[in-house]
Parts: sequence; structure tokens; C-alpha cells
Amino acid sequence: MQQTNKLRPFFENLEFEREDNHMVINFGPQHPSAHGQLRLILELDGEQIVRAVPDIGYLHRGMEKMAENMIYNEFLPTTDRMDYIAATSNNYGFALAVERLLGIEDKVPRRAKVIRTMLLEINRIISHLFWLATHALDVGAMSVFLYCFREREFAMDLMEDYCGARLTHSAVRIGGVPLDLPDGWLGALAKFVNELPSNIKDYEDLLTENRIWRMRLEGVGVIDADLARSWGCTGPILRATGIEYDIRKEEPYELYDELEFDIPVTNTGDSYGRYKLYMEEMRQSARILQQLIAMYDETEPELMAHVPQYISAPKEDIMTQNYSLMQHFVLVTQGMRPPVGEVYVPTESPKGELGFYINSQGEPYPYRLKVRAPSFWHCGILQDILPGSYIADVVTIIGNTNIVFGEIDR
Amino acid sequence: MMRPYTPKDNVQKKAYYTDRFWVAPRIPEEPVPEGSDYAEDVAAVKKACKVLNAYIQRGQLVIYVNSEDNVTALKALKEERGYDMLSELSAVDFLAERGGFEVFYQLLNLNAARRLRVKCFVEENHAVESVNPLYRSADWAEREMWDLMGVKVNNHPYLKRLIMPDDWEGHPLRKTYPLEGDEFAQWYEVDKIFGKEARDIIGPENRDPGRIDRYDTERFARLGHEVPRGAPAEMVDKAEETPISYQEEEGVFLIQKLSAENSKVLDKRR
Amino acid sequence: MAQHQVNYTQSGGLPVALTTVDKILNWGRSNSLWALTYGLACCAIEMMASGASRYDFDRFGTIFRASPRQADLMIVAGTLTKKHAEFIRRLYDQMTEPKWVISMGSCANTGGMFNTYATVQGVDRVIPVDLYLPGCAPRPETLQYAVMLLQQKIRRESANKSQKPKRLV
Repeated sequence: MQQTNKLRPFFENLEFEREDNHMVINFGPQHPSAHGQLRLILELDGEQIVRAVPDIGYLHRGMEKMAENMIYNEFLPTTDRMDYIAATSNNYGFALAVERLLGIEDKVPRRAKVIRTMLLEINRIISHLFWLATHALDVGAMSVFLYCFREREFAMDLMEDYCGARLTHSAVRIGGVPLDLPDGWLGALAKFVNELPSNIKDYEDLLTENRIWRMRLEGVGVIDADLARSWGCTGPILRATGIEYDIRKEEPYELYDELEFDIPVTNTGDSYGRYKLYMEEMRQSARILQQLIAMYDETEPELMAHVPQYISAPKEDIMTQNYSLMQHFVLVTQGMRPPVGEVYVPTESPKGELGFYINSQGEPYPYRLKVRAPSFWHCGILQDILPGSYIADVVTIIGNTNIVFGEIDR
Repeated sequence: MMRPYTPKDNVQKKAYYTDRFWVAPRIPEEPVPEGSDYAEDVAAVKKACKVLNAYIQRGQLVIYVNSEDNVTALKALKEERGYDMLSELSAVDFLAERGGFEVFYQLLNLNAARRLRVKCFVEENHAVESVNPLYRSADWAEREMWDLMGVKVNNHPYLKRLIMPDDWEGHPLRKTYPLEGDEFAQWYEVDKIFGKEARDIIGPENRDPGRIDRYDTERFARLGHEVPRGAPAEMVDKAEETPISYQEEEGVFLIQKLSAENSKVLDKRR
Repeated sequence: MAQHQVNYTQSGGLPVALTTVDKILNWGRSNSLWALTYGLACCAIEMMASGASRYDFDRFGTIFRASPRQADLMIVAGTLTKKHAEFIRRLYDQMTEPKWVISMGSCANTGGMFNTYATVQGVDRVIPVDLYLPGCAPRPETLQYAVMLLQQKIRRESANKSQKPKRLV
């Protein structure tokens, strides 16, 4: 039984608008290959796209407004839901921004730094595997999707063993990490990291020289260096245009200046080049993780920065010392009060430059928090790269730019 | 009884208690050191337009210019100093205190890995010039700024709401806009889909996600004591026990029942 | 006229099963619940994970369809925003009867943590929901259990009973 409502039926998906045989197609906002809630309005000349207008905002949940009405620690779990494929990278970006605002960045204990860097790299692998899985599924390689999800589950298990959640981790705190690694975790990580390269090779065997894969990716969605710079593209999209810019190398944070890893760069600028970058980045992440496993044992067991003004004391102190308990009570009920000022802190999330701009007026609530999400700009560029390509390439291009709507719309 | 007056110009949540003698510390604003790269950046902007203030905060240069000089300043920085990426652009609402917005442009020099922030103050009902000809990324950022903050942008190619629906009222990120939305926002989906006359049937939004009404038989059925959908409230307490099981006890037609003995548990990775 | 060579009383029994129309229809409906991929946010990733290799949704006869016209189950996975609300209603209207809705995750149930101007406070303001699935995000096992509960619910239903007018207008 159809229920009546105000929505008039209309054939919105197809519209012959002009006399000169141009067709207007509506794509989304609920399309299985749109990687979320992207609405594209495409004007077609035959099969070729003449004009593309992306329409976003279908997942706008008001996170920036929420941040203004939450104390800093309260907002941290909300950042999980931004780039929900690699949640820890958001937590970390926010935590680092607040730490720099407070000026306690170098007080974070070394063990916390090792754990954070490990989590960031595991998240990078999770995100890249997910990207490969969905992108391959969109292009038509179903088996790669299943293989990648199998591999991803092992990484998810690692995250779950550490923080208890599969998807929304909140595994980082402002000033450190909440927990030490559980027993046997490093062994499991080492096993995962050792097996990852051979599995990546399996996926490459399936795809790299696959005729269909190459035909659908090579020369599709070409972004040249000028366009990428002008649109503020970062991450693999920027590096695929020949510009070697990775925030981990150029403006190092955490332990990245002590670690040995390479930044893969190509100058093809097309989807196939980006695919190769993603594969290589996963290998580099595995390499980083191997170095971090060795670094862990040399660290002291301290996990949170000792700044009583801003950060609660460890639990033992709270349970035994009156003053720590009082401080903790104030920090939980009222929140920390950072100094007046503003910071913009960029980090390299799996998708590109994830920046947090925080404007503090000395209140426990941020006066303004702006998230610079990489996907926002990678989605905006669609209106410049889609015209001229064919309608079959739309899905390839959307999948290849690796956009996530949680962080585009926030 | 009188309702206490709450200011409407800034509805952001406030700390419920602030010490009378509390003075918030400030992040130091350091002067730009002579001869540094940042000093040359400031000089390049000074040559093009008036610089109101320039300082370094937490390692990043901040330059204040007049709002009408924003394009000139960015152009100088882009063409002379190689700041070829506009990584972020947005506004901060200072309507209540100063009657305007602070618009900031976060720039990045890719070759030198240097970042700086150009800021300008825009009064309410004034507009900034679009920087879209310099940076394509300003296209969406300015639309978002117009949509969420209500800062007008002149000469933008397509200044239209980006995030909120086209028929939305108000600019949600302003401090005057409540977090939970005004009346228009709260009834938006009901008005649009069912019409205003359905407001009474559907009822106001439940803003307390923890609230469960066990007598609301439309939405909740007590597990183990189910009543038909929409049953009257008195039936809820008298509901008979409906056993719930992982699988139906008597088995399901044509479906094999899972037995723990015949299944194999994989406890580790091959 | 060919004679039956098979002795049904001995080799494997009669090729006849006695059942009621209700049972056979509900059996068919409950074991081929084709779900519309209504992935909206984070929960969609868990929905994909439950369809992928480890959790393998196909065992339940649940496969994801991209078209509402081929689906009889809508799994609303993620935050429904006010801008999107219109489209979920449109797609729900396009699904053929009988149809069921699982609201997956806190955001879809009540708006969850997003108590803001832009979020619909529960999809049941827009479409009728059969099963609310708590969690943020619910694990794939939870979604599987929800589907099993829904199957039980379908088996209990009378197959050709007239659809009760649901609460929404």
C-alpha cells in the first residue's frame, strides 16, 4: 500500500533539457558506487560529459557546530565519525592540534608516540585496503574486494584488540594514549606486517597487468600539477602529479623524522598512477611498522603527558592523591581552558592533508573549529576533471579519488 | 515567575563556572624575525597593500590585512613568494563582540614547506572579494563559507548553498544559531515530506536519545513480551510472554539447525 | 503411458511436502531478504564488511541490491540528515510490498550523538522501522543477528494479511 505524502513522483533521473541532444542525468545521492552520499548532476553529449555539478551536504551533521558546544575531550570521539575508514588519523589530528594549542606537544611520552604512530600506520593500511577493495568492486573486480576485506579484517582485529572498537576507535587522547599495548599484540602485528607484502603482491598480480583494469584506469581522471595545486589537492592525488609532498616528511610530527621510509611519487597524474602509489604506500607503512616494533621495547612505560593543568593525572594518582582527584574532577566537569589564540595543524591522513584550525578564546569550549578535510577538495575537483570523460569513467574517477563523505560534509 | 533572560546574540555553550579572578593566558605573538623567510613574505605583502599586523604564533606567520586587500595580498604571496596552495579558507564569527567576521586564508608553499595565514575582518553585511581566480579551491570553500556563516563573496562564479539544502533558512555556524536548530530546522523533513499538517501526527523531535517510552507500542516492543504494533498502552503490562530464541526451538521449515557439535571453530589465522 | 519406475515409499520418500501457504511463503520471504544498500555513513562500512569475506551475508540469503525495486529489506546504515530525508522516503516508496526496514546504528535510531540542526532524530520520523539495531557502529555480527531476528519475525507473520496502516501519514 503506497502511503501518500507530499513528494510528487517525478522522473528526476533523466531529463532531455535542450534541443541539441544534451541529456541531464542525476547520479545519487544514494548510489552504490558514489562512496557515500554524492549527488552529481551530469550533462551529457552522447556518452561524453560536458558539465558536472557535484552536490554535497547529504551527510552534513554539524560537527563544527558540535565542537563549539563541547569541551575538547568530549569532541574527540566525534572526530571518529569524520573519516570513518581511518578513524584514528582524525583522533590524532585533533589531539595534535589541541596539544599544539596548549603547547604540550613535546611533553607526550615516547611510548605514547610509538603507539600513536603504529595506530596511524595501521589505519593507513586499513584505509588503503578499503580503497582498493571498493575501487576494484566499482571497476568490476569482485574477487579483489573479497581478498582485501579478508586482509583488512586482520588489521581491524589488531585495532580491536588495542582499543575495543572496530571502526570508531577513539584510540588517541589529548596528551597521549589511554592504554598500553595488550599482551601478544606486537607479535600479532609483526605477523600481520610480515604477511602484508606478499598479500599486496597477490592483489597486484590480479590487477596491475590486468587488461581490463589498465584500460579502465590508464589515462582516466588525469589531474595535472597546476590543477592539483590550485585545487588544494594533497595526499596521493598530489603525489601522482609529480610533486613530492608528504607532510610526514616535510613537516614531520610524532616519530616520522626518526623513521626510514620513502614517499612514492609518479608523474602520470592518472588513476593508474594513483593506484600504484597506494600499493607502494601500503608497503612503506609495513616498513614503518616493522621499525616501530623494534622501537617499542626501548621506551619507558609512561603513556600520558604530565601537565596537571590540562590533563588528568594517571589513574593511580587519582585514586590515591586528593589533589589529583580534584584536578580530575575539574577537568572532567568543566574541561581544560587552553590559552587564547589559534592554531592550524596539518597531518597526513591516508587521504591527504587533514588539518584542524582551532580558535580558542580561553574558554573550555573552542570558539571555532574548522576541519580541513582532504576529501572536500578532492570532491570539488570532480567538476573540473569529469568534463570530457565518458560516463563509464565517472565511477572509476569517483572511486579513485578516495573520497569519504563523513569528512567532506562533516 | 519570570523567565531568566538569556542573550540571543551568542548561544554557544558557556562554562557553568568561571573563577572571578580567572584571566585566560594568551599564546605569545612573536615578532617576525629579521631576515627570515617569513620577513620576506611580510615585505612582499607590504609592497602590495597595507599590513595591519604581522606576527608568528605557534610557528606560523599570521598577517592581518584590510578586507578589501585580500586578493592583492594573496596575489603577491602567490606570485612572488610561491604560496601556490590555498589549503583552507573560512570565517570566524565575531558578530556579538565586534560586529563582523574574521576571514582567514591558510596558505602553503609547497617547495619550502612553509605555511602562513592571511586574515581580514569583514563587517556584517559587507562582502569579501572572491579569490577564485587565484585559487580554484576557493570555489567550494567560499560557497561553504556563505552557506554556513553567511559571509557574502563578490564575483564568485556560482555562489549558492553548498552544504545545506537550497531552501534552508539561516546560516547554521553563526553564534546566534542554536545547536539544535530553530523551528524551521526542527520540522524541516516533516514539512517537506508530509506537509505542515502532519506535524501533529508525527510529533516533535525527541532530542533525548536515551529516552524510551515502553508504552509507545508503535516504536518499541519489549523483547520477550511482544504486543502487536500500535496496541493500546494497557496491553503492554498484560502482555504474555513471547519466548525469544536464537533459532526457533522446533526448527525452521527446510532449514538445517545449527548445532555446536558439528561446527568447527577457527581460532587462529592459517 | 509411462509408468513410474521409482518406488517413492522406499527410495527417499515422496517428492511431496505438506505445508501451509503461510509457511511456504514466509519461508521464501525470510530466506531471500534482498537488502537495498542504503549506506549513509560509518555503519555502511560495517554493512559492507558483513557482506564481505569474513562475515559472508550470502549465507542468510541476503544479497545487496542497488535498486529499490529489487529489494525487500532496507538497511538504513548511518546518519540520516535533513537534506537527505526526502530521498529515503522516495526510495522507500519505490520498494515493493512486502518490505521491511532495519535501522542500523544509533544515528538511524535516534540521531545518536548528532543532536544537531542537520540530523533527522531517528529515521522513524520519515519511514516506518521494523527493527532498531543499537551500536555505534554495530558490529557485523549484530547486523547478522538483526537479520535473523527479522527472519523470525517474518516467519511469525501471516503471509497474506493485509498490511496494517503504519504510524506515519
